[in-house]
Amino acid sequence: MAGLSIDKITKRFGETEVLRQVSLDIADGEFVSLVGPSGCGKSTLLRIVAGLETQCAGDIRIGGQSVAGLRAADRNLSMVFQSYALYPHLSVGQNIAVPLRMRRLRGMQRLPVLGRFMPGARALARDIDQEVDRAAQMLEIGHLLHRKPGQLSGGQRQRVALGRALVRDPAAFLLDEPLSNLDAKLRVQTRTEIAELHRRLAATFIYVTHDQVEAMTMSDRIAVMMGGRILQCAAPHVVYDDPDTIEVAEFIGSPKINILPVELDGDGRVSLLDRDLGLVARNAPRGGASLGLRPEALRLASGGDAPLRGHVAHIENLGSELFAQVEVPGLGRRVTLRAAAQQRAALGLGTPVGLSFDRELALLFDASGARLRGITRAAPARVEVA
Amino acid sequence: MTRDWWKHLILILGAIVVIAPFYMMVSYSFKSPGEIDRGEGGFFGRQEMMVDERCVKLRDPNRDDIAAAAPRFAGLDDNGIRAALVAEAEADCSLRPVVFNYKSAFTQAPLLRYLLNGVLVTASIFVIQAVVALPAAYALAKLRFWGREAVFALVLFCLLIPVHAIALPLYIMLAKLGLTNTYAALVVPWTISVFGIFLMRQFFMTVPDDLIDAARMDGMGELAIVWRVMLPTAIPALMAFAIFSVVAHWNDYFWPRIVVTGNRDLFTPPLGLREFKGDGDGSFFGPMMATATVIVTPLIVAFILAQKRFVEGITLNGMK
Repeated sequence: MAGLSIDKITKRFGETEVLRQVSLDIADGEFVSLVGPSGCGKSTLLRIVAGLETQCAGDIRIGGQSVAGLRAADRNLSMVFQSYALYPHLSVGQNIAVPLRMRRLRGMQRLPVLGRFMPGARALARDIDQEVDRAAQMLEIGHLLHRKPGQLSGGQRQRVALGRALVRDPAAFLLDEPLSNLDAKLRVQTRTEIAELHRRLAATFIYVTHDQVEAMTMSDRIAVMMGGRILQCAAPHVVYDDPDTIEVAEFIGSPKINILPVELDGDGRVSLLDRDLGLVARNAPRGGASLGLRPEALRLASGGDAPLRGHVAHIENLGSELFAQVEVPGLGRRVTLRAAAQQRAALGLGTPVGLSFDRELALLFDASGARLRGITRAAPARVEVA
Repeated sequence: MTRDWWKHLILILGAIVVIAPFYMMVSYSFKSPGEIDRGEGGFFGRQEMMVDERCVKLRDPNRDDIAAAAPRFAGLDDNGIRAALVAEAEADCSLRPVVFNYKSAFTQAPLLRYLLNGVLVTASIFVIQAVVALPAAYALAKLRFWGREAVFALVLFCLLIPVHAIALPLYIMLAKLGLTNTYAALVVPWTISVFGIFLMRQFFMTVPDDLIDAARMDGMGELAIVWRVMLPTAIPALMAFAIFSVVAHWNDYFWPRIVVTGNRDLFTPPLGLREFKGDGDGSFFGPMMATATVIVTPLIVAFILAQKRFVEGITLNGMK
């Protein structure tokens, strides 16, 4: 086990720059997810860490030691692939044994038939069998050891791939979208299992995914990547509640955060559709900005003081809760609201509704998408005396 | 009657054209020389007893034989004894045509030796072709290196060169090296098969990159990947290539005829057919066709056994 540090990695494929000076420090035993839309460079970064791809600039250190120029085989990392990549001609047991055989047996001892008779090979083979058994027990695939990968279901193959990764004691585990080929139900179950496995092994995990739910549920920290950069790397609740940029806010969270166009006046007062929202952003330039409101920050409001008014355009009922899309005239886009299941009656299609929001939960971004912090509630609006 | 009858008709006609020579070959290997000349006797011939003239001639009695046989034929003069001995020889040398043909095939020429040579040469060629083609195909399919496309273009270009066009320079090179009339002359020119490289490369393109990356993570070097991962997954394609390679070199008459000139111990099976090409006194078609049948049989048996894998390999359906 060891910590791992990625230092200013740059990677170009021809003219296109897929990674731009990416740096990330991962502590020993930490579970870090690299999450981002496809093409953001997350898989390339993982492959560079693994040694399957060489960086154009920058350095990778494992346990403080630079691994520049070291082959993938010599970096002592385990990897689980999206397609599982099991050897189709070997049984499950043999598949799991491969990393041990390649590392512990010498060339002569690995020969197909003769190898068994080489001095010392028997004892080593016995040790390897025991360790394969132990890994199989841990993943509950002991009864499958003699089958071929072709005879297994997707979930079982995935476990075998995990078994092959954890049978030896690597410096870190690299997982490249290991759940994306599983059906939804199995994915939820395996998510829990991988998180528990991480706790039990106390090993360093780097987990690549495009699914923000996987990243949120499993990780100690999430690194959100876009356009070859890490935009923010922090604990899941920080990334969700306190995003640094509008891209991060939009990528994390499902349904997506509502982004509303707002205006800042010279005092930093925020207004939406020419209506003062009672928020002040200090040190913010005058002009256009964006207000981010998570669906759970919005609530139904009655009466004339609701800052947003519109009618219900679409409802998604998830049973435990429901999401209503509200068409607000003048806004040009729908606003998604999370409501408790009991409120269903009040949210019939086409019903006019008023929406207000929790000012503590409002996120403000400037015109370039950077987060504007230090928002305060405005002093009660000047009372206009008639 | 299905509406596709005409397709079947065309296929059946095609099959007849292909099978006819084989039918003749097998049929002639059963018949006596007279039946072959006169074109009678159906497929199996009448299988009447016939006399092997050559056998009788070999036993033609000389003076000593007659003297030695005199006690057995008391009361006959020398001419009488001679006639009796010839009749005895003819009785001993008469046999069914099918037995005659196949016995001649194996006794008149060292056919077993030729078959052994054939096995040795085709097996060596195939093994070395595989040893060369697999790593080359792996590099062309899965490794990124400068000039890869140019190398692959060269491979494709080499596919266009007919063997006969370069036979003479090849022969001269082998002759200068003093390698004519050796096994090496039969094997070495064929050890690099561009067709094999091409076929295996096309198959390797279908193997997922993840599998190779997984092998690298598991600690395999590039050569280990070729032998431990690519070879086992490529067995169907390799079988298909084996059929092409073995058939071509087992049946090859042209090249062995050029490089093996004197030494009969190096004859491959097709060269063995020449043994029955009688020059002055007509050809021995029966034994010749028996030899041909013996030569062809191993290939047909091998094909039937490997048929399923062969078709799999040709259609190149890699891995699911």
